[in-house]
Amino acid sequence: MTAHFAAFSFVDRITEFIDGSRARGFFWVPQGIRVFPSCLVAEAVGQLAAWVAMSKVDFRGRPVAALATETRFLGLVLPGDVLELAVEIEDCDDNMVAYGGNASVEGRQMIELKHCLGPMLPVEDFDAPDALRERLSLLRDRGAPRGRFPGVDLPETVVIERVPGKSLRANLNVPREATFFADHFPRNPVFPATLLLDAQIRVAAELVEKSCGPQFASPVASRMTHFKMRSFISPGQEVELAATLSGQDALAARVMLSAHVAGKSVATARVEFAAREPT
Amino acid sequence: MTQTEVTKEEIMAVYPKVAETMADALGCDVEDVKLDVSLIEGLDAESIDFLDMVFRLERTFKIKIPRGKIVENARGDLPEAEFEQKGIVTEKGMAQLRSYLSEIPAERFKTPMKVADIPRLFTPETFCKLVVHAQREAQPAA
Repeated sequence: MTAHFAAFSFVDRITEFIDGSRARGFFWVPQGIRVFPSCLVAEAVGQLAAWVAMSKVDFRGRPVAALATETRFLGLVLPGDVLELAVEIEDCDDNMVAYGGNASVEGRQMIELKHCLGPMLPVEDFDAPDALRERLSLLRDRGAPRGRFPGVDLPETVVIERVPGKSLRANLNVPREATFFADHFPRNPVFPATLLLDAQIRVAAELVEKSCGPQFASPVASRMTHFKMRSFISPGQEVELAATLSGQDALAARVMLSAHVAGKSVATARVEFAAREPT
Repeated sequence: MTQTEVTKEEIMAVYPKVAETMADALGCDVEDVKLDVSLIEGLDAESIDFLDMVFRLERTFKIKIPRGKIVENARGDLPEAEFEQKGIVTEKGMAQLRSYLSEIPAERFKTPMKVADIPRLFTPETFCKLVVHAQREAQPAA
């Protein structure tokens, strides 16, 4: 099986498609993979929106991740789950797409994305327009074969500075080669913003767990705001991640996230971890 | 009133909300968003920040700001061919730009100026004007 439309593709079938307006679809999370992080659930929603956007502009452009005003993480998706995806397009033209959406499992919402925006870049720079057209037809017709996603090895982070109770800095070495690069994207391999975010949230979770007391043991992100991706990250680049505790109360711990490549800011976000209810 | 005439009162009416929205987008203190600060040189804004600010202002003020509208507004009634040639702002275009961005000190208008460099001139006041224009367009014609 080729990696294209498999190694980093998270829409298997589109069941409702109103051009330029809304769509619904499914992704069958393969049973055999180890984990399916929440950031990939967000990726699935974003990819459904991307299909609507690309179709709307007749595959002249494709959106790339740039801004997400608010993402609510409402539950964990497990291997074997069936993701029900829904997106509403707020605005779409040759320059950008704005959208919101959600993903549910058995009717229970697992993630909600509000007011996301992706600039449209020339589709030929990333993929073959005809291949994308053909794929969308397949997704809208009988759907793609399930179980194509082989899982992804999440790049590890290495802590380089720890200021107890305040901040954590870590390095993320983006692999030079990985199966997902063949799908993201075939003509221009780019480290997915959602995998960067996953690494950033892991660093923030470590900071919160070690700084915020027992009500934040094994913290799980509950909400992310102000996500902004400033530039692409290429294979082999070293990314410095920083997480700084910005607030804590009885309900949540809040962390500011940033990512730099060679001293230049490439991404920022704010993430919250909800406190566990006392047992 | 022509498209480019926006009164100081109109600007000051929207400025507090514009400043708050821009501070949120740029991750800076609202006090740093002075009416005349250069967004790029003073507040380190990048192209993605402009997109973010427009996106947020649309929701804050419930208006629609088509992409590229800032330069279009700055051009006013001047046809595009008279405003710029081969990506460089013409003399007529520069006069129009100086008039539209009247709040910006003359020494910041470098010549020759590339159209792509126009955003380097932008300040929060530029965005206030954009909001006022969009609000006017949203109002039904009398």
